Amino acid sequence: MPGIEYLFAALTPLNIMLALGGVIAGTVIGSLPGLTATMAVAVLVPITFSMEPTSALIMMGAIYTGAIYGGAYAAILLNTPGTPSAIATTFDGFPMAKKGQGDLAITVACIASVTGGLVGATFLLLLAPPLAEIALAFGPVEYFWLAIFGLTLISALSEGNLLKGLIGACFGLLLACVGIAEISADVRFIFGSQVLLGGIETVTALIGLYCIPVLIDLVATPDRHLKVDHKPRGFRFLEALAISWKAKFSLLRSSVIGTLVGILPGAGGSIAGLVAYTEARRTSKNSQNFGKGEPEGVLATESANNATVGGGFIPTLVLGIPGTPPDAVILGALLIQGIRTGPSLFTEKASIVFTFIYGLYLATFLMLPVGLVIGRYAYQTIITVPKALLVPTVAFMTMIGTYAIRNSISDVIIMIVLGVIGWILNRFGFSPSPIVLGLILGRIAEQGFVQAWTIGAATGELWKMFFGRPISLAIIAFILLSLFYPVIRSRFGKRTGEVPHVE
Amino acid sequence: MSNNLQGSLQRDTSTIFMACLFIFVAVVFLWDTTHMLDSDSYVFPRAVAIAMIILSLTLIVWNLVKPRLAKGESLVEASTARRVALVAAMLVGCLAMPWLGFLIPGILTFFLLMFIAMYDQWTKKRKLLYPVIAGAIVLGFYTLFGNILQVPLPVGTLFE
Amino acid sequence: MKVKLKVLTIMMLVSIFSLTGSIVLADDYPSKSVNYVIPFGPGGESDITARHQQPYFKKLFGQDLIISYKPGGGGAVGWAQLNKMKGDGYNIMGINLPHIIIKPQEKAVGFTTDDITGVYMFHYTPDAIVVNNDSEFKTLDDLIAYAKENPGKVTFSGSGKGTANHIAQLRFDKLAGIKTTYVAFKGTGAAVTALLGKQVVAEWGYTSVGAKQAEKARMLAVAMDERHPEFPDVPTFKELGFELVSGAFRGIAVPKSTPEDIRMKLSDMIGEINADPEFRKRMESDGMALLDVDYKGYQAFIEEQSKVMLEAAREANIIK
Repeated sequence: MPGIEYLFAALTPLNIMLALGGVIAGTVIGSLPGLTATMAVAVLVPITFSMEPTSALIMMGAIYTGAIYGGAYAAILLNTPGTPSAIATTFDGFPMAKKGQGDLAITVACIASVTGGLVGATFLLLLAPPLAEIALAFGPVEYFWLAIFGLTLISALSEGNLLKGLIGACFGLLLACVGIAEISADVRFIFGSQVLLGGIETVTALIGLYCIPVLIDLVATPDRHLKVDHKPRGFRFLEALAISWKAKFSLLRSSVIGTLVGILPGAGGSIAGLVAYTEARRTSKNSQNFGKGEPEGVLATESANNATVGGGFIPTLVLGIPGTPPDAVILGALLIQGIRTGPSLFTEKASIVFTFIYGLYLATFLMLPVGLVIGRYAYQTIITVPKALLVPTVAFMTMIGTYAIRNSISDVIIMIVLGVIGWILNRFGFSPSPIVLGLILGRIAEQGFVQAWTIGAATGELWKMFFGRPISLAIIAFILLSLFYPVIRSRFGKRTGEVPHVE
Repeated sequence: MSNNLQGSLQRDTSTIFMACLFIFVAVVFLWDTTHMLDSDSYVFPRAVAIAMIILSLTLIVWNLVKPRLAKGESLVEASTARRVALVAAMLVGCLAMPWLGFLIPGILTFFLLMFIAMYDQWTKKRKLLYPVIAGAIVLGFYTLFGNILQVPLPVGTLFE
Repeated sequence: MKVKLKVLTIMMLVSIFSLTGSIVLADDYPSKSVNYVIPFGPGGESDITARHQQPYFKKLFGQDLIISYKPGGGGAVGWAQLNKMKGDGYNIMGINLPHIIIKPQEKAVGFTTDDITGVYMFHYTPDAIVVNNDSEFKTLDDLIAYAKENPGKVTFSGSGKGTANHIAQLRFDKLAGIKTTYVAFKGTGAAVTALLGKQVVAEWGYTSVGAKQAEKARMLAVAMDERHPEFPDVPTFKELGFELVSGAFRGIAVPKSTPEDIRMKLSDMIGEINADPEFRKRMESDGMALLDVDYKGYQAFIEEQSKVMLEAAREANIIK
């Protein structure tokens, strides 16, 4: 273990207190839709001015870790991914909760998050400098293909109607273009409206498309929000542990995927969860249960998104290039403290780096008890609160949370309108997930495409640009595999009882 | 939309209707790209809009050629009035915020939604308890966001 | 409300003594924390420079400077709302050039350049051509010579279109008589990543990139009047014969309704922070260059910059 001598520097009572407080605060903030890890960390920045750099880093790392995990609560219990990284958690988490397995889903998410967090931190500790090169090897074309790979998940998500799924994705891709274009700076598709000028913010869309339809259906009937047909059953920790152990390879693979995707500065947590979910679904024995409340699905996304924490710190600390948006804020705080990141940080400022990494381990371990207890409390609250209080509370939360993302009332209006559109579309068989996928991946795909095209055209190697680079080819292979795997498996596979899920 | 139980035929026409709507959206977006100067700005959305038109046309053709029974969910027992009221209350609440600030529309929306979502009897206990809880939740969030997280919540032009 | 009443009373008292009410009002300022809106997301350069100012504001004036974010539309969402905020000196907003000059010329974005009441431009991040440490181009002349032989083949990454980087690229191409390709990325971070990953030949970046990536990249020239104190070995474009002094300018604006004396006071205060030697050192070690355009000089400064920037943007067909 490198820098083991700093382990004890990380374990001072003050640092333990900061890590514990950070994880608790992060988990609570992350569980509120609209409050992202980025915001949680940004609020802390002024406090860190007067702190030791290592303590400040540990606290920010703990908040970040907690917030990413906290996103799972709203995803599982309210079908609302509070952060983009929790999108895929809703796919199986909410169906589980609907079936009365919400407590199990939360405990599974907690175990997965801790595992993912530890894997990510271990890569950060042992392999940060070489792995940072991945961040550099990914050029515009690779991001373009990665986005397309993410879009292949639509074939799995569109529940038997691929055409509708693809149309939904196109709709999402178009929504992504609204507002001032990120790279060409052109004002697009605002149709003269100031409300749309800032574009459709991802989290705003997530809250609208996922949470508002749930609320709309919730008020329409006197039925309970989640099915409850049992007495309190504790944490169901052993049960969750058994599930995790059975899917241990999937868990580890998802954690590694999360770490690697977290390293990519242009992709971040949102894609990590999706990629891990796609892969887990493809390789799982229970793949036909995915999307209907399969714990393995929760396991895959939650481990992947917490692994992005460690992964994202790799380019942040080694290259000074933030891997994820919260990393950008932490990097800024470091700069103000007068710490310059770069390859020599690991040697010259080893005490800071390694104390921080061990602090990250500490926070991740603390997340297990903290996560279980808060998760239990969140679950109990959601199932016991009467509808007449649950609906207004969640509605109010979505409004204030959406407002807080960019301090904008326009965003709240966009959120509600998108929610209504999403509800209507869903009734006609257009599910919201392909739209969201299009919205998130559209920006990455467009930027990658336009940049690759510009570079390719300038150097006169357009064809080679898109199809001649090794990493691109590998991603293209994965795209083909993920599209045709069900066909291949049903034709040649030994397993029986499999239903191909393309139309 | 309140009556979707009539089997396959109606379902198919509604899908075709939605596909037409998507084509319309795509055309509107395509039209907007004609104002753009920079090819970086229009290449991608144009490609997507054209794809969306082709896919929607395919969906229409598919439904005409091969009509089938879709699993339509019943809306009969559900209250459409409450659905509309929920959305209306939320929209009115946030439209009022630039004028009235955050707190007053927030509390009013909360109370409205409480009535909309109420299926149980308004017992004396609930009459007393719920407003107190409602106030506590709204004020709690208001403090959390406004003071602790330092979100500049709207003050309202009427009170400046 | 209370503060307002107090202020009103004081104003009345003051006018009785036939003094100008404004002096006392401004003397009182700031008597509470000041809300500083950054029209970009957290973690960007606009945020970091504001964070640099934060502790000095507290130290010099005893009040907190509370930073909040209103990102969207490359700053346009925030600036469009600037004049709707309360003009009491306790709401201020960061402004950036060339954004506030170029954006309103492209399309209707909810504000015009004249809508913005700038009180101080406190620094700029000078443009610079950055290459990888192991790049074959040792000097600017190497790059120009290569670009002349291979028109269009030199690719520059840069942060967005219509930005300082882009305008600098357009202007430099014209000055040097070369043709290069500008590849727009989302923000400086992404542009640097593309450079370090060798997706492009060079980057139109900022001196701050040179400071942050000192181990992996070097600058060929900086667009300053004189050499940057942190990089005494890097020549300026001027020295090499190209009349190019440019960068991303940052300043502070107030809502239009803010009284004249508060604007003056605020301008002096930002100037005071700028004069703090410790603050200067911090900013300069991050690669920034300090700038002192106060409230009185703001209008002339904007007019001068507009002329240059709009001309370059018009020639490049960014604006009509």
